[in-house]
Amino acid sequence: MDDSTNNKITTGDDETANQQERLLPIANVSRIMKQILPQNAKISKEAKETMQECASEFISFVTGEASEKCKKERRKTVNGDDVCWAMGTLGFDDYAPPLKRYLDRYREVEGDRSATPQRNEEEGRPSSSSTQFDPNLKPF
Amino acid sequence: MRQAKTAYSGFLSGGGIPRQHDPHLLPLARIKKIMKKSSVDVKMISREAPLVFSKACELFIEELTKRSWNMTIQGKRRTVHKEDVAHAVATTDVFDFLIDLAHPNTSNHHVDLNEDIEKKQ
Repeated sequence: MDDSTNNKITTGDDETANQQERLLPIANVSRIMKQILPQNAKISKEAKETMQECASEFISFVTGEASEKCKKERRKTVNGDDVCWAMGTLGFDDYAPPLKRYLDRYREVEGDRSATPQRNEEEGRPSSSSTQFDPNLKPF
Repeated sequence: MRQAKTAYSGFLSGGGIPRQHDPHLLPLARIKKIMKKSSVDVKMISREAPLVFSKACELFIEELTKRSWNMTIQGKRRTVHKEDVAHAVATTDVFDFLIDLAHPNTSNHHVDLNEDIEKKQ
């Protein structure tokens, strides 16, 4: 069957699956978009797909920065603080306050299971990146 | 994703959920996969990291969507098109890393109320 019109194909399925794995699900992305827009707004399929790509790129971009930091500090595990630090460095410091609130609430709910930075999967060395959110970083 | 549901279940029902109350709008496993693929340097990822991203992506998508919508209404339209996203990216410094992903193109199905094609040249 010609696979240009149908995504449910037998050949090239791996490619399609691969493609989807590097993107956040379009339904979830769509929902977030709709939540922020007025009720009468519509979103084209292409715009949703573009947003999917952008969100993945955002994750990759920030993760790259965070993992660079870990590499320099000879740590094997990228943790939540590294991600927050990277975001601040890359100009997303506006996200820091709500992220902090979110993390704090999650830690409250989950107990201290995920809270302690020492609980990395590395050789028991405490995380040296105790940099919390710094709202004093360059303004957005 | 179910572990936090008991605490947040009260917020999950119905529409209009305030975004800060729904912890897992995005699948953590998928986020983790994307993180791993981003660089060969990424070896291990703490449990919290995808969680931070789930919230951060939400904020990111909201911001980019809001900015795209500004472009949409400037064009006197009600449907957000890819070009609106591209213009939002182009006009926001912090979104420079997205320039290659979303570049303003002349659209094939861009609907313009005025259809002033000549003026657009």
